[in-house]
Amino acid sequence: MVGNRAARRIVVIVLMLAAALWVVPIVWMVSMALQPNDLLARTTSNVAWGLIPWPFTLDNLGFVLSSGLTPRWFLNSAIVALGMTSLVLVLSSMAGYAFARIPFPGRRLLYPLVLAGLVIPEQAIFIPLYTMFAEWGWHNGYFALIAPRLAVPIGVFLMTQFFRGIPDYIEEAATLDGAGRWTVFTRIMLPLSIPALSTLAILTFLYAWNDYLWPLVSASRPEMFTITLGLASLQTNFAQSEGLGRVMASGVLASLPVVLLFLLFQRQVVRGIAMGSGK
Amino acid sequence: MATKGRVLTETAAATSRVARRRFPWRDAAAGYLFVGPFLLAYVAFLVTPFVRGIWISLHDWNLLAVSINPDAKRFVGLDNYTRMLWGDGIVWSLDHQLVPRLAGVVIVALLAWWWRSGAINRSTALAGIGATLLLFGLLLGLHPGEEGRWGDRRFWPIVGNTLTFVALTVPSVTLLGLALALGLNRDDRASAALRTAFFLSQVLSVTVVTLIWQLTFSPRQGLIGHAFRTLGLEPVSWVTSIDLAMPAIVIATVWWSLGFAMILFLAGLQEIPAELYEAARLDGAGAWATIRSITLPALSRTMSLVIVLQLILHFQVFGQSHLITRGGPNDATQVLVRYIYQTGFRNSELGYASALAIVLFVFMLVFAMLQIRASREEG
Repeated sequence: MVGNRAARRIVVIVLMLAAALWVVPIVWMVSMALQPNDLLARTTSNVAWGLIPWPFTLDNLGFVLSSGLTPRWFLNSAIVALGMTSLVLVLSSMAGYAFARIPFPGRRLLYPLVLAGLVIPEQAIFIPLYTMFAEWGWHNGYFALIAPRLAVPIGVFLMTQFFRGIPDYIEEAATLDGAGRWTVFTRIMLPLSIPALSTLAILTFLYAWNDYLWPLVSASRPEMFTITLGLASLQTNFAQSEGLGRVMASGVLASLPVVLLFLLFQRQVVRGIAMGSGK
Repeated sequence: MATKGRVLTETAAATSRVARRRFPWRDAAAGYLFVGPFLLAYVAFLVTPFVRGIWISLHDWNLLAVSINPDAKRFVGLDNYTRMLWGDGIVWSLDHQLVPRLAGVVIVALLAWWWRSGAINRSTALAGIGATLLLFGLLLGLHPGEEGRWGDRRFWPIVGNTLTFVALTVPSVTLLGLALALGLNRDDRASAALRTAFFLSQVLSVTVVTLIWQLTFSPRQGLIGHAFRTLGLEPVSWVTSIDLAMPAIVIATVWWSLGFAMILFLAGLQEIPAELYEAARLDGAGAWATIRSITLPALSRTMSLVIVLQLILHFQVFGQSHLITRGGPNDATQVLVRYIYQTGFRNSELGYASALAIVLFVFMLVFAMLQIRASREEG
C-alpha cells in the first residue's frame, strides 16, 4: 500500500509537469499580449523566455479593443455564433420532437435519410455551396456564414435521442387536457429538454466561433471577417503590420469567450464533445 | 402515486390511440410542419450542394470565366477523375516504394497482435488488415512506367502527406490521451484541475493554435528556439525544413486535440464496473496487471471509436497546414483539403477541385462506415 502511494505521488508529479508544459504556449501568448510592442520587436525572451510579462502593459489590449478591425470581427463572431446557435436549437428541437414523438407517415424513411447527411462533411461541399451563394448574392452577409451549419443533422440526432427518452405519459396527460402539439412542445417538452439543449447550444457556439474554412471561403471583405478569420489574416503578414503584441492581444481576445464558456460550463462542454462524437 | 400514474397513462394512451385513428392527417400535418424548417435547410444547404458538387466535377469549370459568363463551362465527363487518379503508362511493381510498403507489413502485424491480445475484435482487425493490404500492397505499387506520367503529379503525394499526417497524429494523440485518462481518472481536486489544464487547448480555434505555434517554431523568436539556445544548441528552422515541417504541424495538432481523446477515454473508464477492479485486487493483481487484463480490454470499444473519430477529423486537416507551413516547403505538408481550396480558389479550377472534394467524400464515407461499426461493437 505504501509503495502504491509513493507510485501515485510520482505519477501525480509527472502529470503536473506535463500539464505545466501543456499550458506554457497559452501562457506565452497571454504574456506577449501584455508586453510592449517595441520590446517584442527586439526580443521575445525578455524575462524567463518571455513567459513573464515584464515590462507590463495593457496598451496592446487597449489598442485592439479600440481601433483596427478587431472589435468589428469580434462583433461579427458574436452575431454569427449567437444567430447560428439559436437557429440550430429551434430547427433541431422541432425536427427532433417530430421524429421522436409524432407518428407522421414517412418518418421511418425520412429519419435515416436525414442521418445519412452526417457522412457529408463541410470540406466536401464548400465549393458548390460557394457557387450557389454567389449566384444568390449571399456572400459577405451574416446569413451566408450561418446557413451551412443549419443543415448539419447532428443536432436533430441529439434531440431525437433525447425526446425518445421522455416517458409517453407526460405528453399524453397533457394531450388529454386538450393541449395541442405546439403547446405540448413549447410548454412541456422544451423545458424538459434544457440539459440537451444547453449541450447542443455549447457545441454549436464553439463550432461557430472557431470555424475557419467556410468563413475564409465566404467572407472576402475584411469588415465581414469573423475573429477567427481575422486572426488568420493578421498572421499571414505577421510582424511588419500591427506588431507582435497587438496580434497576440487579438489572439487573447479571440480565445476569451470560448475559454470562459469552457471554464464556466466545463461539464456541459465535455459532455457535448463526447455526445457530438456519437458516444 | 404509482397506480394513479399508470391509470393515467393507460387512459391517455387509449385516448390518443383513438385520437390518432380518427385524425391521422393531423399527425401528418403536425409532423411535416415540425420537420419542415430543418428539412428545408437540409435540402438547400446539404443535399443540393452535394449533388451540385458531383455535377460541377463533371465539367471544365473556371471560377472566373463562369462568374462572368454562366455558359463558359464545358462538360467533360469523368476526365477530371482520370486526370486525378490515373495517367499514361501506369504500371505495377513489387519493389516500388519499398520502405512505406514495409510499414504496411508492420501495420498488419500490429493489427494481428492487437486482435490476438483482445485490444480490438475480429471484424475490426480483418477490416483493418484488408484495408492495409489494399492500400500498401496494391495501390502503393502503382507508378508510371518508363514513358508514362501521372495525369496530376501532385495528387498522390498529397494524399500520401495527408495519410502521413494522420499516421503520425492519431497514434500519438490516442496513446497520450489514454495515458492521461488512466492517470487522471480520480475524484480528487488535483485530478480535476489537471484535466482542465490538458483540455484547455482543445477549445481554442485553429487560428489561435497556429498563431501560437507559428511563433513557437520560429528559430529566432520562438520558445523552442529559446530553449535550444539555453541548452547550448543551434535553433532549427522547423517550418522551412523539408523533414521537420510535417512533425511541426503534427506537434501543434497533438497539443491542440489531446483533450478530445482524453475525455472520451475518461468516459469509457467510468463505464467499467468497480467490481472488476475489486476482483482483481482480491486476486492480488498489481497496477500494471490490472490495466492490462481489465482496463484495456474493457476500453476496446472506446479505443476503436477514438481512433476512427480522429481519422475523420485529422484527414480533413486544413488550418495547420494552411497557416503554419503554407503547404510547404515544396509541397511537403500540402494536404488534401488545402489542395481542394487552392485548386478552387487560387487556380479557379472549380471542376477539378470538386472532383477532389468528391474523392475526399469517398474517404470520409469509408471512415464513417468504420465509425458505425466501432460504435455498435460490444465492449
